[in-house]
Amino acid sequence: MTTASPQTAISATAPAVGPERPVAWPHRTVRTLANGMQVVLAEQHTFPKIGIELFFRSGNALVSRQSPDLAELTARLVRTGTNSRTSRQIEEDLRRMGANLGTMAGADSSAIAISGLSEFADKLLAMVDDLARNAAFPADEFERERRQRLEELRIDRTTPGFLASERFRRVLFGEHPYAVVAPTEAQVEAYQRDALVAFYRENYVPSNALLIVVGDFSTARMMELVEKTFGAWKAGSAPSLAETELPRPRGRAVHLVHLPGTVQTEIMLGNLAITRQSPDWRRAVLANAIYGGAFNSRLVANIREQKGYTYSPRSSLHGLRHRGYFVVHAAVRNDVVAATLTEMFYELDRLRSLPVSEGELADARNYLSGVFSLGIATQDGLLGQLSTVYLDRLSEDYLETFREKIRALQAGDVLEAARRYFDSANAQIVIVGDRAQVEQQAILFGDVKVWDTHGHAIA
Amino acid sequence: MSNLQIPVETQTLANGLRVVISPDHSAPIATVGVYYQIGFRLEPRGRSGFAHLFEHMMFQGSEHAGKMEHIRLVNSSGGVLNGTTNYDITNYFEVVPSNALERILWLEADRMRALKVDDDNLRNQRDVVKEEVRVNVLNQPYGGFPWLDLPPVAFRNWPNAHNFYGDFVDLDAATLEDVRTFFHTYYAPNNAVLLMVGDVEPKESFELARKYFESIPPHPAVPSANTSEPPQTEERRGVVEEKFGQLPALAIGYKMPERHHRDWYASALLDRVLHGGRAGRIHRSLVLEKQIAIAAEGGMGFPDVFEYNGPTLGTTTIYHKPEYSPGATVAAFDEVIADVRDKLLDSDELEQIKVKCRADYFSMLEAGGNGVPRFGLMHALACFTLFDHDPRLVNTVLDNFLSVTPEEIQATARKYLVPANRSIVLRLPAAPPRKQDSQVEAQPEAKQGTKQEGKEAKQGVKQGAKQGVKE
Repeated sequence: MTTASPQTAISATAPAVGPERPVAWPHRTVRTLANGMQVVLAEQHTFPKIGIELFFRSGNALVSRQSPDLAELTARLVRTGTNSRTSRQIEEDLRRMGANLGTMAGADSSAIAISGLSEFADKLLAMVDDLARNAAFPADEFERERRQRLEELRIDRTTPGFLASERFRRVLFGEHPYAVVAPTEAQVEAYQRDALVAFYRENYVPSNALLIVVGDFSTARMMELVEKTFGAWKAGSAPSLAETELPRPRGRAVHLVHLPGTVQTEIMLGNLAITRQSPDWRRAVLANAIYGGAFNSRLVANIREQKGYTYSPRSSLHGLRHRGYFVVHAAVRNDVVAATLTEMFYELDRLRSLPVSEGELADARNYLSGVFSLGIATQDGLLGQLSTVYLDRLSEDYLETFREKIRALQAGDVLEAARRYFDSANAQIVIVGDRAQVEQQAILFGDVKVWDTHGHAIA
Repeated sequence: MSNLQIPVETQTLANGLRVVISPDHSAPIATVGVYYQIGFRLEPRGRSGFAHLFEHMMFQGSEHAGKMEHIRLVNSSGGVLNGTTNYDITNYFEVVPSNALERILWLEADRMRALKVDDDNLRNQRDVVKEEVRVNVLNQPYGGFPWLDLPPVAFRNWPNAHNFYGDFVDLDAATLEDVRTFFHTYYAPNNAVLLMVGDVEPKESFELARKYFESIPPHPAVPSANTSEPPQTEERRGVVEEKFGQLPALAIGYKMPERHHRDWYASALLDRVLHGGRAGRIHRSLVLEKQIAIAAEGGMGFPDVFEYNGPTLGTTTIYHKPEYSPGATVAAFDEVIADVRDKLLDSDELEQIKVKCRADYFSMLEAGGNGVPRFGLMHALACFTLFDHDPRLVNTVLDNFLSVTPEEIQATARKYLVPANRSIVLRLPAAPPRKQDSQVEAQPEAKQGTKQEGKEAKQGVKQGAKQGVKE
């Protein structure tokens, strides 16, 4: 169907893009204080706001053997009271500075993130300091958070996306600390307040810290303020992550998490890959963009736009600090699980077998180069980019050179990256769905292990 | 006073297309959007979900940019794109390095002029939309709660009250003829606004807008919806079964004042008294102090109010512990409500709220909820243009909120936060209660409530996600 509207002298082909305008990443001032705290400041004056994020390079992986999620629970308690402020005072003080606060932990770091009006810069920084050094861990707040965490976990264990990623990390990482993304209910019941306090004392220390401030301030004055606020903070050094052997699976295997009554099946497949420090990282990123990392990618064109199996197929590379992995993900209707896996593998194998055309290569390079620069336009975007560089200890010119390095990649780089890091033959497959509907489709792709939603194997 | 001076330049083309430009050269990035004044409320009866399905069709090809080509042209320019269907608007937007501006205008004009789709495209996107509904609603705990659950209970007029994501039977019934009619009726330049924000030169950009859009013919008479609601005289209740989660949840929605009525400004501030994060009174009372609830949040605060141009609900969503009944939970909620009705807000609390509104307004303009550069600025400009015919409100509207007095807030609470103006939906787990909860007294009451309230529930929608549906 073409809707009938009179045509005028508009070109039938899309106009070329104009000459590229320079992307000027803001100047950063980087300093390490005498106590070891690393400080990164970047001015951005578009709105009268600032964003402050204080990271500690210790996250859930550090404690995942004994008490998974301890870092996360510690972070949540941090905002519930300090030696001088009650929970209610903290929340009201935030509001009177126009501020949002997040305290959270990932696998590799814990963070106190605050953003607010720049007119309150001093007080915002003082709040971060108070939370980082004087958290009081009130016993009643601890019990409240424990119960909330339990209820959240119960919901998580009925959420297909959560169950898929939980099982997937287990399968890829085996006994490694990165294997565990969430605790059991029993582990949450067993938490002791003292363990949170101990984690906080050991890990929330300046030698383990990275402070990033972005926004509407003057660097000289902000650096003075940072020195004044954090300079006198003395504490010991934090423990580092003890890594263990990783599984090296040969051949594909399927892990089916049985969630009764589902009307859709969540699929994840993939393999261990590389971190951002790898010289191959950009090659793999480019290969991923072509495979399934963009709307304009092979996976989306195939299983969404051609076949209509799914709404949101995607692939991605995850760079944790010490290890990375590659994952392909889609939620599909129950009767096309096998068909979807077939197409996912077909597209992986195609990318591993044949060089991409020059046109497809150029499109993907342009995509990555352009999208990377979008981060420059907002304080959150900039803070996110800077935290990647400094948390992962990437080179100082990482932001400035990313685009030109992507532009230099060739079809051979994509082929090589796909062969090395998209390990089709040994991919591990996780599906979350109703066993009765999907198990017969799953067995076409390898031995099937069935799990319940609490991580117990079932026959 | 906020003293905002965001540059806003406007022109209206001969075909009625409004063009709004807000230059900001701090980064070489342009955010471009076309907003059509058509949303869930206007979709045809018997075609629930059609406005959103149609939005998908707009990515399926136009005369000179076939299927996947639109997406390829944006991505390969270094940009991202999406579309969103809301109650009263549908938008299409691109964020690109600013050297791609002309290409984006060409693309948007091509699909405004001549959508080119076939039965295969329609079948394909119907399948995609069904998976979208499954992944966001049918296959998620608390999917669609409460944004799809409350309207059928709270409203009586179909445009406000139906299933916005679409019943599958209605999605299946949609034809290419429906697509054609919908396109011709609503996707006309005189029912739209084109926005260019960021690294754009106004003079050159207005010229480009004329070049690509001005020859697209207008629609002689774009229909508008009758969204009026009969007066509500008593509390309305409904119940929806929760298939996956084990926590009981409930949502309470009060009908809100009309756009730009003085009460509208006060109600947005009142919403911040009640919600607005952990300092909000409902969270503080129900989650932190009484610990009845696991989560309690609001669904229609400042500045979200800008994107609605018809009956709306100020909503509180509460996930509560199974050992408390829905009745006990609502009673605790009502204590908070009684307090704002009975007592004047103290000036410190109101001052905190105003500072936070100011900060959140800046954050919204800078990015908006989805993190896209200047998305919120573009969105606000579009809403102020389509609904209020004055995009420059972006510089002045904040002051109307910041001048609200404690007396106005109390008066608004007394007028609107009354049982006869509200609707309550319970989302009750189907699964048997967990062992540790079965001893607790609350269960019988919960079950009884279910039956009673079931009578008034118009339809059992079981679903989830935020308001507004992304492409």
